[in-house]
Amino acid sequence: MTMDVRLLRIDSRLLHGQVTTNWAKAVNVNRILVVSDRVARDQTRKTLIVQAAPPGIRVNVITLDKMIRIYHDRRFDILKPMILVEDAVDARCIVEGGIKIDSINIGAISFDDTRVMVTDAIAVNAADVAAFKWFHAHGIKLDVRKVSNDSSKNLWKSLSEKGLV
Amino acid sequence: MTRREKVLAYLEKHALSIDQGVTTSEISEAIGVLRPNVSKELNQLVREGKIEKINGRPTHYFVNHATKKREIKVEQQKPTIGFAGAAKISEQSIKEHDATNKNEVDVFENMIGSRDSLKNQVEQAKAALLYPPHGLNTLIIGPTGSGKTYFANKMYHFALDREIISKKGFTTFNCADYAHNPQLLMSHLFGYVKGAFTGANSDKDGLIQEADGGMLFLDEVHRLPPEGQEMIFYFMDHGTYSRLGETTKVHHADVRLVYATTEDPESSLLQTFVRRIPIIIQLPDLKQRSAREKLQLLEQLLTLEANRIHKNIRLNEDVVQALLGSVTYGNVGQLKSNIQLVCAQGFLNSMHDKNEITLLFSQLPPNIKDGLSNLADDRKELGNLSRLLEPTMVIKPDAKRGLPEIDSYELPYNLYEIIGDKATLLKDEGLDQTAINNFIMTDINLHLKSFYRQGKLEKIVSSLNEIVDQEIIDLTKQIQRLLQEKEDYPVRDNFIYAMSLHISSFIKRIQSGKPLRHISSDLISMVHDYPDELKIAEHVKDLIEEHYRFPVPESEVYYMAILLVSLKSEPKAGKVGIVVAAHGNSTASSMVQVVSQLLSVDNIVAYDMPLEMSPKVALDGIALQAKNIDRGNGVLLLVDMGSLSTFSSKLTEKTNIHVKTIDMVTTAMVLEAARKTALIDSDLETVYRELREFNGYSRTIEKAKKKKNTVQKKSDHREKAILAICSTGEGTARRIKELLDEILVDNLIDDITVITVSVVTMKEQIAKIQQDYQIVATTGVVNPQLAVPFVSLENLLQGGGESFVSLIEEINNHTAREAVNLEQSESLTEETSQKYLGQYFTFINPAKIVKTLWGYCDFMQQRSNSHLSNAFKISLIMHLAGAIERYLTRSEMSVPDEKLSRIRTDKLYPIVKQANELLRKKFNINLSDDEVYYIVELFNTEKEKIDTQNK
Repeated sequence: MTMDVRLLRIDSRLLHGQVTTNWAKAVNVNRILVVSDRVARDQTRKTLIVQAAPPGIRVNVITLDKMIRIYHDRRFDILKPMILVEDAVDARCIVEGGIKIDSINIGAISFDDTRVMVTDAIAVNAADVAAFKWFHAHGIKLDVRKVSNDSSKNLWKSLSEKGLV
Repeated sequence: MTRREKVLAYLEKHALSIDQGVTTSEISEAIGVLRPNVSKELNQLVREGKIEKINGRPTHYFVNHATKKREIKVEQQKPTIGFAGAAKISEQSIKEHDATNKNEVDVFENMIGSRDSLKNQVEQAKAALLYPPHGLNTLIIGPTGSGKTYFANKMYHFALDREIISKKGFTTFNCADYAHNPQLLMSHLFGYVKGAFTGANSDKDGLIQEADGGMLFLDEVHRLPPEGQEMIFYFMDHGTYSRLGETTKVHHADVRLVYATTEDPESSLLQTFVRRIPIIIQLPDLKQRSAREKLQLLEQLLTLEANRIHKNIRLNEDVVQALLGSVTYGNVGQLKSNIQLVCAQGFLNSMHDKNEITLLFSQLPPNIKDGLSNLADDRKELGNLSRLLEPTMVIKPDAKRGLPEIDSYELPYNLYEIIGDKATLLKDEGLDQTAINNFIMTDINLHLKSFYRQGKLEKIVSSLNEIVDQEIIDLTKQIQRLLQEKEDYPVRDNFIYAMSLHISSFIKRIQSGKPLRHISSDLISMVHDYPDELKIAEHVKDLIEEHYRFPVPESEVYYMAILLVSLKSEPKAGKVGIVVAAHGNSTASSMVQVVSQLLSVDNIVAYDMPLEMSPKVALDGIALQAKNIDRGNGVLLLVDMGSLSTFSSKLTEKTNIHVKTIDMVTTAMVLEAARKTALIDSDLETVYRELREFNGYSRTIEKAKKKKNTVQKKSDHREKAILAICSTGEGTARRIKELLDEILVDNLIDDITVITVSVVTMKEQIAKIQQDYQIVATTGVVNPQLAVPFVSLENLLQGGGESFVSLIEEINNHTAREAVNLEQSESLTEETSQKYLGQYFTFINPAKIVKTLWGYCDFMQQRSNSHLSNAFKISLIMHLAGAIERYLTRSEMSVPDEKLSRIRTDKLYPIVKQANELLRKKFNINLSDDEVYYIVELFNTEKEKIDTQNK
């Protein structure tokens, strides 16, 4: 038995309000793991995220390294987590670290100077594109949905249409 | 005709004067009621003063005519002495006082400490009451048992004497009583109108109306829910209020409000309160009061007991010291309970003596005996006391001191009556005196404990329940009683834990047919140094055999003896003391509170310095604290700012105590200091040197510190470990290990191993473990005295190991764990939210929208009539920004129709719609109902969360 990762989601806002609650209910998780080296070091953000947890579900903020470590540690097999990461690069990092999933949910990636818009909520830069290519090459589905009852769109298609891949 | 009436009727017929007195047996025979029952009624009647008795063998009773006239009046009251009637009696006496010299009398005069440690407080109280035109509302803050209710009561009497309040009536209300049900609480306070809710069949006034013209005392006000706070604020400002179910605030009441709380006034719950209340009276804890005052308090409390039993109380110096030293956390309240306990015991032991009861040190219960050694640790205090103490003290009943006021430390029944009745009953059954005493002592302990430790004890037992069978807990309690009564073995708080865990694992092993533990020669030689414990262990073995009806192997006796040795108290002397002094009303005390809770240490005190305090006052105050905490091994002073760091030499000069000062104090540093000084043989210089190195929070030293850390990491490749210690290393320790492993997994901690250790070869094992592991904490039945925190079993088991987890987090993360308090300042959160908005949103300008969104939050807070935490406000702002962005990018979220129609009936739906108007006016944005759905859900989720937390 290994840890049953119910959902891996990319969202620059990580855990926020109703969106997370919706997912946690929809995929039936017993833990939310926010995986980010930056946040794990930022005490204020950590506090905010932990306090925004949906009722009855615990949230932990951990580093990428620790995520990979506990995934391979049999003691933690009882967890059925939803994993939240900030960007595609972090997502690729933990999947390369051995975490098994067949699709990645992408919620929102905010725009900044390095990124270009792909859909109305998703912006990517070169590093993101490289990561998405890697996922595609490994047969992992890129599922774009804000909440669970949205209809799923394939990010690969959007990336192709924009001529980014 | 009731039994009581029968007895009284017989007496009135046959015993109208002294010479006609009749005996219990005569009455029993004549009216055909059992003798013990007659005796009970007679005792009751004597206490009420309706009949009198002539001492002698046998006792004769007769009707007391002098008091007969009063009878009608007294009849209405509950006749037990010392409870419900008491306050009324004291009111009466004050009324009598009134007639002679009104306005002159000052009820505060008689209060102990009114010219000394409570001088300021009394001045404050008078000022608050006399302030024109209607006085000022007052908040009394003080730790458990420091006398908040008593003080408020005094304020009431003062106000009454000075005719400040027009009506008699001191109404008390404990906000904790209905804290789980805000609506019920509100209906009690403010009243309701017919039809306000199901069952509201008629209009009803609340306590506020009842207290009109008088005083209303709201205890544990920190438990008042936000709705209640709002309404109370309104009432404070305007003097009007509405009852439940009314829309306008039309009712008027003139009420003096006095609040009380044990909470730190800086806590977020109370901050709003504190802002609105002009007078805050801080009551000192017992430790801060002078030796003279402590003695006066003791005398006063003993006099109350003497009044109840109508006998003198004689006690020696050592009993006085033990009683004063036995107060650990509960202040005057605890002192009162302890005095009641020993008086009850003394009463029982001196029943043959009609005039006097004697309290002997040798007969005190162990936890009170411990008081003497507690006090001995504090040489200064002991010295002060000894100067004031006579070798023997005799307390006489004193009518002027009156009977006790109503407070939560008062038992809801007359203990002496129960003892008297029960003793008579048992004697009639032919039991000998020792057996009777044993029986009744158990009873007394049970009564007192169940009463004054209600919450605490229950909690402990229930958490233990989760891992040990109730049967074993009961058996352990039986063993505990045996040890206490027969063997004079000092049973301490951790006994139930350690012993029941031990027995449970032993029984599990026997039942599963596992091989028996062999006895090592180490064990045997160790145990032979403790013949007493070995003897007791034999008894315990017998008890277990008797209970489970299977033979207990001899080896188990040895392990049991080791456990008993371990559980005996460790002498606590000679620790380096710590004084934390920091600017701010409670900065220092909250740091100290955190640390003493985490590590349960007692060698640490705080000194808070409000900014306006002069250095001279601060120096004196710190000197006093240093004296209090010094155990002869010097004091470490931790301060927050440079100016204080020059105090060392002045302090040493002033107090003759060796003082070392470290500045830039943080919670982590206090924790570190407490850990290091927890070792008995640690000396001030070493601790100081080590802490100086630890002191690395200022910018200049930060780099050096980082370097040091990496060096440390490199040099310390050892894995972290926690030791779980029990007598065998197999039973209890394994259970602890399982428990800890679960806690560790639950908190995603993967780099700490739990290792079980046996007490027998503890030293060698630990030395061996330390070769491969870095030990970060220890727990179990005995403290191995390593330079790391030790967590006692009871602390470990309480609250699902939460305190343990925070301890581990402290260990893993010395520096980063400066708790982030979002609830502190509004500007901070507005700034914070702007910062996060900037980080995550693409299309919106954070500076432009943050004000509006903040206004949105305020609007929602007001209209939904609930308090929004700052953390929730930030989430709400982030969510709204998301909704606005989705609106702008035309990608709003969708919701299935049936959910949408459901949400439209939610009571928050119209409020959110109104709030959205703010967005429409400002940005011309119309959020769809789908988005409204998510906003409403956000609120409901938060509410659900708060509800589950409160449960």
